Amino acid sequence: MNLDLIHFLIENHVELCKVPVSGNIRDIFSLYLMSRDRVVDMDSDALVQVMTYNDFINELKDVEIIVPGSIIFKNENAPSPHEFDTITFIDVVPLKILYYMHFERKDKNSDSFDSRKSSELKTQPPLPTPISSPQPFDKFMDLLDMEKMDDMKTIRNNPLNKVLLTKLNNILETEPQSYQLGRERAKESTPITNYIPSCMNHEHSSILSSTVYIVNNKIISMQWSKLSKYEIENPEFVECLQNNIHYVPNLKPQTDLSLGDCSYLDTCHKLNSCRYLHYLQYIPESLLTKISNETKKKNDEIEQNGYKIPFYSHGNCSSVAVKEQLPPQWIKCDVRKFDFNIIGKFSVVIADPAWNIHMNLPYGTCNDIELLQLPLNHLQNDGVLFLWVTGRAIELGKESLMNWGYKVINEISWIKTNQLGRTIVTGRTGHWLNHSKEHLLVGIKGDPRWVNKHIDIDLVVSTTRETSRKPDELYGMIERLVGPHARKLEIFGRDHNIRPGWLTIGNQLTGTCIHEMDVKTKYDKFIANNNKNKENRYRLPNQQQKQNNNQNQSLNKIQRQPDFNRNNHKRFNMSSQPLLSQNNNGINIMTNRNQINIAGSIPYSIQERTETSTPIQNTYFASSTASSSS
Amino acid sequence: MTPMESYTTSKESEHKSKHVNFKPSTGFHTNDYSNNYIHTGSMPQKHVTNIENPVEGYPKLQKLFEEKDKQISHYATTPFGCKVEIDSMVPKLNSWIQKDNLNFDVVMIGCLTDNQFIYPLLTQLPLDRLVSKPGFLFIWASAKKINELTKLLNNELWAKKFRRSEELVFVPIDKNSPFYPGLDQDDDTLLAKMQWHCWMCITGTVRRSTDGHLIHCNVDTDLNIETEKTRNGAVPSHLYRVAENFSTATRRLHIIPARTGWETPVRLRPGWVIMSPDVMLNNFDPAKYKKEISRLGCNIPLKNEIETLRPKSPIQKAS
Repeated sequence: MNLDLIHFLIENHVELCKVPVSGNIRDIFSLYLMSRDRVVDMDSDALVQVMTYNDFINELKDVEIIVPGSIIFKNENAPSPHEFDTITFIDVVPLKILYYMHFERKDKNSDSFDSRKSSELKTQPPLPTPISSPQPFDKFMDLLDMEKMDDMKTIRNNPLNKVLLTKLNNILETEPQSYQLGRERAKESTPITNYIPSCMNHEHSSILSSTVYIVNNKIISMQWSKLSKYEIENPEFVECLQNNIHYVPNLKPQTDLSLGDCSYLDTCHKLNSCRYLHYLQYIPESLLTKISNETKKKNDEIEQNGYKIPFYSHGNCSSVAVKEQLPPQWIKCDVRKFDFNIIGKFSVVIADPAWNIHMNLPYGTCNDIELLQLPLNHLQNDGVLFLWVTGRAIELGKESLMNWGYKVINEISWIKTNQLGRTIVTGRTGHWLNHSKEHLLVGIKGDPRWVNKHIDIDLVVSTTRETSRKPDELYGMIERLVGPHARKLEIFGRDHNIRPGWLTIGNQLTGTCIHEMDVKTKYDKFIANNNKNKENRYRLPNQQQKQNNNQNQSLNKIQRQPDFNRNNHKRFNMSSQPLLSQNNNGINIMTNRNQINIAGSIPYSIQERTETSTPIQNTYFASSTASSSS
Repeated sequence: MTPMESYTTSKESEHKSKHVNFKPSTGFHTNDYSNNYIHTGSMPQKHVTNIENPVEGYPKLQKLFEEKDKQISHYATTPFGCKVEIDSMVPKLNSWIQKDNLNFDVVMIGCLTDNQFIYPLLTQLPLDRLVSKPGFLFIWASAKKINELTKLLNNELWAKKFRRSEELVFVPIDKNSPFYPGLDQDDDTLLAKMQWHCWMCITGTVRRSTDGHLIHCNVDTDLNIETEKTRNGAVPSHLYRVAENFSTATRRLHIIPARTGWETPVRLRPGWVIMSPDVMLNNFDPAKYKKEISRLGCNIPLKNEIETLRPKSPIQKAS
């Protein structure tokens, strides 16, 4: 009769039947051994080792026979009907009675269960010395055998513990199914972009350098005779040429091969005098058409699939298949003086502020303090904000995010590459070390449960372009994160940043274009108020008045822009109507949140907003619109 | 005939007529590796073309790295290991400071695991006495841990002593890498983690333009991508190399306040004292170490080859 076992069952009956043990007898066995291990120490080594799984089963059965109904077994996967592999229920009451009966009897025999245990604990023998032979070589080998060392020192019954540990690790390492489903859906629904692998064989590029005919930094033709000769020496060369991107050295009279590659490569301004090596990208036209056709075919399939609505709808708007994306919208304004209440709430915001980092950049940088004071806390209730930061601004950016009510949840690194797909390692790009990457902080606010987590990773590998222009890959990542129909805002954007589904604001944009009806109304009111206030408050000197006239003209111009015709408004309003009704029916609670954000045109009461919006104090906005017309 | 068909027919007849059209396409093509990852599962960082040799194409830099390598290994102390349980690290370091009067110019804390006890170490350790002035501190952890440490490092006392100077990043090559951060403590992140972060802090004053005997700036970059070769231990060699290439100091200490297990042993490295519960050798002796340092000197001496090759600040014209 195993009292230890009964004690163990009484103490742990709840945990044993619950997840993750779920009454699995093998697991219970190893847990039992571990618990014994803790209580009884070294000298009962023999006991533990003698006890096998079958013994354990038999002991469990003994208990069950003595106290019928105390343990209920179930047979799930065992080969024969007489064997059991799970315990579904442990009745503690009869077990307790049994345990105390024995306990009392033992007490009378003055062989207390507890005292036995404690005496054993007291008389712990010292650790048996693992190395009996003092031979230096053996000692050395023992030192190397880390696994054995670990076993000796810390955990006994290693194999069993290990099984449990790996099990635990597996549980911890299992992704939520939502990640996998999200990724699977993204795979089925994201349009493919042309992908052409690059050739990694250096020989190929040197062969090519002697066969191409380059005029005006462009590859004009190739000497087929030479190529076929090389093909005989290097089979698969032609095949590689037809399937991969190659970079062909652009050799010029002044090129000095010993100097190596130009740090600027294709962006070098002195192509005709630079003595460093430059390259030209070579892709056969046939390859490009082949890839484009394949891509188009796949994308057509994806588009057709788009009409089949995936069963996994988390984070998607309920009319994902029929809803059109809004065309690009943008507002030219000084972000520092803009009333953010005009534009409503967003699921996602990107901000790429020009941090004041003592560098001569081809645009005005604004003060860090001004950035911190931006009322970005108005833009989202639940949502995600992406903030580009550089060097010193990393800390400042984290601070700002916290001030605006965000929690920094991820940090994306943009690995900057050059024409050849290499990281940037030259050119004293940082103060202490060269900078090969840039940081993008990801802040989260509220509880946006509609986001699709872990579709992408926190890295972007992309080539550098114009100064401070950020990779477009980010837009794809964001669209996968929040769904294609969420309202998305970019602050400090430039003309190359405008894109469908996004509203871009910044002072370097050309003009203004708004499609969402309510935003348009509020924006017009804002401009009108702004003008009125100015006229009422100050008697403008002649010159400024003239400017004001100018500005009114420019506003008229904006309103007359072709994008603003009535049809357009109607179209988008209509498409957002059925959305709302679906929402009210409560089709999908998850998407509901998203929906409110998407259909930002409806939930906001226009009057309330305009009343509370403070009149703009400064003339900057007006003058900036004025300058756009000139 | 569509272009697609014309391509296939040309390929079929390739063997007969040997005619392949090599007409180049116009315009620059770039791949969207994030999009490619979604469709193929191939990680974007895998497509960087200079992972194995970051200075590929730059013979001058390559030479500089070789020269520095030689110089560094020439002036490296015996590799030392100090096997200490995590709990006794602080007392041990304290005794080094107080009894043995030891200090270090380069101190690296942490490695690429989430299960580290950096915060207690930083708060209990008299770091300003352990790190000499000028000195350099590298702290490696997950981006999340680094974020949590921000509070500590931004507090006034700390910020005064250690200026945060660069943020380094280490990127594992894929999900099979031993350095893949995994899902540990990753319940609410929006994007899957694929990087480790490091704070490089400077204490005391060093100037980029004039202190060439102490630091060599702009040799390495702030980004390292894992290579296959460095998978055999708990700490990829990149982490050590950045510190070695930057500071010319010979007294370097690496504290790993984490258990890494015997599967990923902490290997020794010439020029470093490595303190970890799992370091492979326990051979550190303060007296012996001090003797070696007095023989080597505290800084690697200047070498002309390196001086001519290394990137320097532009010399200000005397006005």
